[in-house]
Amino acid sequence: MQDKQFMRETLTDGAKAFQAGKMNRRTFLTLCAMTGFATANVLAGKAEAAANEIVMWNWGGQSEECHGGAIGKPFEAATGMPLRFDTSGPLQGKIREMVDSGNVTADVCDADLFDSIALGPTGHLEAIDYDVVSKDKTLPHYALKYGVSIILYGYAFVYDTEAYGDNPPNSWADFFDTAKFPGKRSLYKWANGSLEAALMADGVAKDALYPLDMDRALTKLKSIKDDSLYWGSGSEAHSMVINGEVSMGMVWQNRGKNIEDDSDGQYKLVMNEALAMPGAYIVPKGNPAGREAIMKFIATAQEPAAQLKLLDCLGMTPSNPAAFAQIPENQQAYAITSAMNIDKVAFNDPVWWGENGGDAVNAFLDAIS
Amino acid sequence: MNAIRKKINPGWILVAPFLLLVVALYLGPIMNILWLSVTDPEPGLSNYQKLYQSDTMARIIWTTFRICVVTTIFSVFLGYWIAYAMVHCHQQQKNYMLAFLLVSFWISILVRTFSWLMLLGRKGLVNDALGGIGVISEPIAFMRNELGVLIGMVHYMVPYAVLPLLVNMQSLDMRVMNASRNLGATGTQTFWRVYLPLTTPGLVSSTLLVFILSLGFYVTPAVLGGGKVLMIAEYISVQLLVTLKWGTAAMLAALMLLGVLAMLYIMSQFMKLSTVFGGSSS
Amino acid sequence: MSNSDHTQGSLQLTDLSKYFGEFCAVNKVSLEIQKGEFLTLLGPSGSGKTTLLMMIAGFVDITSGDIALDGTTIVDIPAEKRNFGMVFQGYALFPHMTVRDNIGYALSVRKRPAKEITERVDEMLELVQLQDFANRKPNQLSGGQQQRVALARALCFAPPVLLLDEPLGALDKKLRVEVQQQLKDIHKHVGTTFIYVTHDQEEALSMSDRIVIMRDGAIEQVGSPYDLYEHPATEFSASFLGKSNFLRRPDGLYALRPEKIDIRAAGNGGEPARLTGAIKSITYFGSMQRIIVSIPDGDELEVDIDSWRNQDPLHEGQQVDMLWQDIAAVKLAEG
Repeated sequence: MQDKQFMRETLTDGAKAFQAGKMNRRTFLTLCAMTGFATANVLAGKAEAAANEIVMWNWGGQSEECHGGAIGKPFEAATGMPLRFDTSGPLQGKIREMVDSGNVTADVCDADLFDSIALGPTGHLEAIDYDVVSKDKTLPHYALKYGVSIILYGYAFVYDTEAYGDNPPNSWADFFDTAKFPGKRSLYKWANGSLEAALMADGVAKDALYPLDMDRALTKLKSIKDDSLYWGSGSEAHSMVINGEVSMGMVWQNRGKNIEDDSDGQYKLVMNEALAMPGAYIVPKGNPAGREAIMKFIATAQEPAAQLKLLDCLGMTPSNPAAFAQIPENQQAYAITSAMNIDKVAFNDPVWWGENGGDAVNAFLDAIS
Repeated sequence: MNAIRKKINPGWILVAPFLLLVVALYLGPIMNILWLSVTDPEPGLSNYQKLYQSDTMARIIWTTFRICVVTTIFSVFLGYWIAYAMVHCHQQQKNYMLAFLLVSFWISILVRTFSWLMLLGRKGLVNDALGGIGVISEPIAFMRNELGVLIGMVHYMVPYAVLPLLVNMQSLDMRVMNASRNLGATGTQTFWRVYLPLTTPGLVSSTLLVFILSLGFYVTPAVLGGGKVLMIAEYISVQLLVTLKWGTAAMLAALMLLGVLAMLYIMSQFMKLSTVFGGSSS
Repeated sequence: MSNSDHTQGSLQLTDLSKYFGEFCAVNKVSLEIQKGEFLTLLGPSGSGKTTLLMMIAGFVDITSGDIALDGTTIVDIPAEKRNFGMVFQGYALFPHMTVRDNIGYALSVRKRPAKEITERVDEMLELVQLQDFANRKPNQLSGGQQQRVALARALCFAPPVLLLDEPLGALDKKLRVEVQQQLKDIHKHVGTTFIYVTHDQEEALSMSDRIVIMRDGAIEQVGSPYDLYEHPATEFSASFLGKSNFLRRPDGLYALRPEKIDIRAAGNGGEPARLTGAIKSITYFGSMQRIIVSIPDGDELEVDIDSWRNQDPLHEGQQVDMLWQDIAAVKLAEG
């Protein structure tokens, strides 16, 4: 069966084509087929890391152009080392397998900060060199031994203004209240965000979430299980909303603007109680470009200019406090660390997730399946 | 020397290099998986203990088994029907049917999966149309549930079911069916007493093929099941890639392998496997 | 056991035709087949004999004309209701059934009591002498045994008519002669009408009551083996059934069988020679010899003589005289 990454790519491209031209379904299907083949070709041309370049292992799509422009260009100008990409998705298992096999082909992974907790102590990652990388250029708890947060993304939700226009939902408590707000819901399938949302809905304060009370969270989630769908990728979350399958959907907050635009304003993003997730750069042990070069690269990514470009290009929110004030006005409503949102959101604890994530995911899967 | 020659078919010498290659490239990784299943995270049978200690495992295995059985039944039934029609219609119609079959065979599983959402989703063509003419007031939940998974999987599997049956049916001597009619059997009698028994090898290989392929299904359940239909293949992938419980993944993989081998063994008790896989029956 | 207890068994074919598109496979065949007769349809491949048989069996629809059993038309009766036995080319035995189940199939699909089936199958096994093979599968039998199973299966439900489509085609020459005799014996024994398709003229000559020679979908000539051999009506009949020399005389074309010519060294006196020529070749076949003689007009004549009569051996190149009786040369119809 095809790779999960392949699935994501095709769904994303297909969904974009569908929305972009507001085309009919038949054309869309044709496009789906075409993007399916094109993506396969792209995947075939995977980058091989060498000492005189940086290979970033990420999820492909737009992030390739965006990271290239925001970090790759200034870094190449300064060091002469170009930035290339492996777009096959740096899942924990793949990183572990790559390091274990001794054939390390990536220098930096665009991953989650909790991955550094799971993979660092087992010797699969290089420690971050905080002589080169700055602990001050990210949020206080997000500079860890084996990983540093560059950007933030988050789990927020969108709602159907046609269904709830007069009395819109404004919290996870509303999201989980299917009596007051009847309709289908969609949640993230791999537990992240879904668990925290359930606890907040059940009355846990947003700064007292960790350690997560799993039983309480799962009980809350099961209470709306019959009305819930679960998505595994951003584009799937997107299409569940756009195709009208749900009237409230958890989404990655950085997609909120797209969804509002694509639905002509029918769906609206709610940032209150959004869960901020530290996206992090982590370095596979023995990366081909060497530790020194990659630390410089990470330092480049910490610069406000690079972070603001990523925000503009991908909707990923800066983690460097120096950049918060520079978030442009049209992005402030969607950005996690903008002045209007930073006090409303909850922050993910990467340590708890790194240590308990595997069990939490399995318990979650058990509860929803 | 002659004695040895008598015992060993010289054909083995020809295939020996490939046999070694298969052993090295195929059995090696399999042994590795079996090894992992008893060593990760610590040596012992703790991974296998989960099988009866964890309700999750039991449920995932049961879900997988149930979906695979139902998928197999429907796919093989439809496949038999289609193959029969193809064998017994005119050459030109047969070519058309084969072309349609192969086109659907070649289309990416993602496109097909997505097409079903377009067609049968909550706001898909069918629900829109039925709602539009007032037949239904609430959309019918075809997708994002087990029914959706079954529809998607059967659709994917039908070509696999058809091909072995088609080969089997095409190789039948139609004079045998004429003989049955000539001896006074009605069409129904001829089907049950002659045609069906003679297509049993095709049915068995088609069933095996579809069932085994279904066991490994991943994308369709993930998308069309709305996240609630968790099958072994997806669970294994999660344990490998997300939760890093490789021992559990290896144990489940070993279990699937064992299940398939057990099925082949049971089948071999009833008929020669070489017949099923296209060898001669004599 | 005898099948002659039923009263049916005569067939009437009237102006029977079959077109596959533009192609005419069977062309206005009319034929009266007697009850209990052993009738052979003989012809080269493509002559329509098998199509004709399949029309009688009901597997091929007729284009026009009529088929009647004992005077009653059967063209609208489907194959499975016609109750005609049939032995197929290649036998078409049911490979997944034992010999016993194969033979009993016709009775079993008619839902007859198990006891009756067992008894009847035992009779048939005895008839074809396969009692010891009842529980084998067809692929465990020799070709000859399979052929007998096919015969027993087709006769088991006592059909009024048995259709045989090249039933000996798959057997080797020696076995074929043996089975021919068995088949004849069985025909005599059961008294069923046999309609037998073959392209083998020897088979046709040795077994049939009557032979129908077919050519291009039409009947060329019908008659007993003796009639057809001794009095071929056309050049096709004369050459397809047995061998023949053809002589052009002022009043028409004559057929002359090679074994009816006497040959001797030229100028030996006695009766005057009908033709003289030079020996081109002599082929020795053991009991007989085939001598090819070049005659003056450039033609060749084939002469078969018993070997024992060639005591003063003729040799190649030798001048010879040839003689025959008047009745040996048969005048042919010319179309």
